[in-house]
Amino acid sequence: MTQETVKKNELNLTKEEKEAVFTTLKRDLTLPEAAMLEVMNSEHCSYKSSRPVLPKLPTEGPQVICGPGEDAGVVDIGDGLALVFKLESHNHPSALDPYNGAATGIGGIIRDILCMGARPIGLLDSFRFGPLSNPHTKWLLKWVTKGVGDYGNCVGIANAGGEIEFDPSFQVNCLINVGCFGVMRKEELALSRATTPGDKLILLGGSTGRDGIGGASFASKNITDESESDRGAVQIGDPYMKKLIIDATLEAIQVGLVAGLKDLGAAGVTCSISETADAGGTGTEIDLEKIRIRESDMEPWEILVSESQERMFFIVKPENVEKISAIFKKYDLPYEILGTVTDSGHCVVKYKGQKIVDLPAHLLTKPPTTKRKTRKPKYLSKLDQKWLPKEPKVEEYNDLCRRLMASDNIISREWVYRQYDTEIGLHSVVKSGEGDAGVFRLQEFGTKRGVAVTFDGNSSQCYLDPYNGSAALLVEACCNIAAVGAKPLAFTDCLNFGNPEDPEVFWTFEKAVEGLADAAKVLEVPCVGGNVSFYNHDEANNVAVKPSPVVFVAGVLEDATKAVNKKLKAADEFIFLVGETKTELGGSEYAKVAYNSENGLVPQVDLSKAKLIIQDIIKVIKEGLVTACHDISKGGFFVALTEMALAGNLGFDINLRRIVADTERSDIKLFSETPARFIITTKEENIEKIIATFARHEIPASFLGKVSSEKRLVIQDKDKQLVNLSLDEINQVWKYRLEEEMEGKKEER
Amino acid sequence: MADFKCEIIIEGKKNARDPEGETIMRDLMIKHGYDMVHSVRSGKILRVNLTAKDAKEAEAICWKMVNELRIYNPVAHSCTIKVLTE
Repeated sequence: MTQETVKKNELNLTKEEKEAVFTTLKRDLTLPEAAMLEVMNSEHCSYKSSRPVLPKLPTEGPQVICGPGEDAGVVDIGDGLALVFKLESHNHPSALDPYNGAATGIGGIIRDILCMGARPIGLLDSFRFGPLSNPHTKWLLKWVTKGVGDYGNCVGIANAGGEIEFDPSFQVNCLINVGCFGVMRKEELALSRATTPGDKLILLGGSTGRDGIGGASFASKNITDESESDRGAVQIGDPYMKKLIIDATLEAIQVGLVAGLKDLGAAGVTCSISETADAGGTGTEIDLEKIRIRESDMEPWEILVSESQERMFFIVKPENVEKISAIFKKYDLPYEILGTVTDSGHCVVKYKGQKIVDLPAHLLTKPPTTKRKTRKPKYLSKLDQKWLPKEPKVEEYNDLCRRLMASDNIISREWVYRQYDTEIGLHSVVKSGEGDAGVFRLQEFGTKRGVAVTFDGNSSQCYLDPYNGSAALLVEACCNIAAVGAKPLAFTDCLNFGNPEDPEVFWTFEKAVEGLADAAKVLEVPCVGGNVSFYNHDEANNVAVKPSPVVFVAGVLEDATKAVNKKLKAADEFIFLVGETKTELGGSEYAKVAYNSENGLVPQVDLSKAKLIIQDIIKVIKEGLVTACHDISKGGFFVALTEMALAGNLGFDINLRRIVADTERSDIKLFSETPARFIITTKEENIEKIIATFARHEIPASFLGKVSSEKRLVIQDKDKQLVNLSLDEINQVWKYRLEEEMEGKKEER
Repeated sequence: MADFKCEIIIEGKKNARDPEGETIMRDLMIKHGYDMVHSVRSGKILRVNLTAKDAKEAEAICWKMVNELRIYNPVAHSCTIKVLTE
């Protein structure tokens, strides 16, 4: 950007945005002002397309301490503690530089938790890539995993789970969403506000360079061919410095030295000085020369919008400046006192004695929204919702099951999560891969309670039916939380879509938000924060990503030791299916893997019924009646039960005849992806209590068969023998395929 | 055909941060009295011995290899290739 662009008024702002600026200011902009306005008006910072739609989401509930608007959501988990959690995308940076993009994604989400005052204790991740067999996918997956692992492991925060989907629509625009959660005492809550004029503004951490200049603007564009050499947008993380920043920040909060706190992510210093002023109803004034820069020829506008990593912004009472400085020095962390909170309502920046920026804070933080056009996508009218494949022959089932267990979206993700430290901090009770949700105990915080966390997304179903697909995925995520015995409390979301200027894309966005909103209202699981990532569109091939809302649901267990996982525990235990199975194959793995079809009906969730099922599952687990529990999602009943067998290294012998379904077809009973269904195992003496619990709400709980010590998967439907497979054979394809794709075939197992 | 020694040097881009180099400078060199040092950059060298028709072909093979196998990422790194001996 140059003075010339500003003079000619060639700013990257819409007509309305320019109007808003000039009717308020009634003067020309300086170059730094123009740069600050451009970045704050970008889609990534301003949410200009999504802001009119997002208020549909319910955000309130007795458990909510802090909803959307702060850096992360905060919920009450009892015993004086609060859980802070957030989910964010780092899609564009990771598509170009998977290692640093993913690593700094983790770095950024950790700062969001920290700046609310909580100690970050767990991480989650959600990836979307093209088909696994593609070399570009492998390159991305390898480096994204390494980036997440290196940063998370070095900074000492355990991985608590995640999920991955492979689909051709993500070939160029991969989606990398990362989440973090932390715990604090409720009174330690720090807000990103500058409320008191006279308070001092302090910048802590790394130096400011040209890295990440325009990162937010870059994330607000489609990826084009030129992006490979799009210089300057890549940031490099430094987890060791982040660890010191976490410890120093928490220490300063605990001794009461922090009046306000903000992390520096998108739009850097610009965002910090404007958002804290606007939220606190004050102004800010800084001296730009105080900022340590890495390249001596940096221009003021570059310093203001740089997105250099590992920086935190503190608001501190003047009398505490010396004390907080002592803490920063103890950790060997560089810091600078940049300026002061004022009562002007303006953000003022001085440089070499000159006032180079003087903008009302609200002009930066509340730019005008853009009303986007919407139109139902053409592809949707071509889909056949009534589609059903021909019922497979009895002898075809073994092979179908093998193919499903070896498919991209079903195979074990162990190759990914074994690169992550899942135990550091000694919190994990249910670790990555062991259950539907990660469970962390909170002994360190002096309570028996535990937190349960999960990520969920289903781009196939959201593509075919964004409303029902999104409603179902929130239900599914809450079922994940219930399946370990926890009560779902709230969610945050990351809404990944294509170009919002395309009315068909925006229609899917609106429907997805409506689906999430309706499910959230019935389940009483409010939205406490979120992130929107648009422009996930590959211009060269004109491919937009499938609509991909991803949700992060957090829950609480009164007693972390009561958590259950999905492992089958012992032979002769009884296997039950809870919930009703419907003919819903749209977007299912069965339809994709066996028929390569995108037709069929996407699950239509009965939300009230789902809520009751979730409540009852939590009840039976709490009462200790359940030995293992798994909710049914991708791949349907068969995949869920087989995953339980694989985890427990035990077989099963069941008959499908008692499954309550709207069909007699065995393939639908096995592979339909109707949500709000669970498989539970129990000991003989608890059967009656379990049936009675579900009967109160007329929820079917059908006894199907038993766990067997023989390691075989045996399934009959009435008198037809459908499946008879060796557990070890399925284990070979399911457990090792990802590793073999990534590292080549191994000689011996 | 002849044997060639090639050197593939992969560095972070000029203006990108380099926490490894920074740490070596700050926590090792300067702390031990080498305060005349004002910049350290880390990187990676691959010494490759290969057979090719001539030096030009050797260099071309190296470039093809690093690009095709994504041994460096042009977005984050700069790469230089030198053919050392024949």
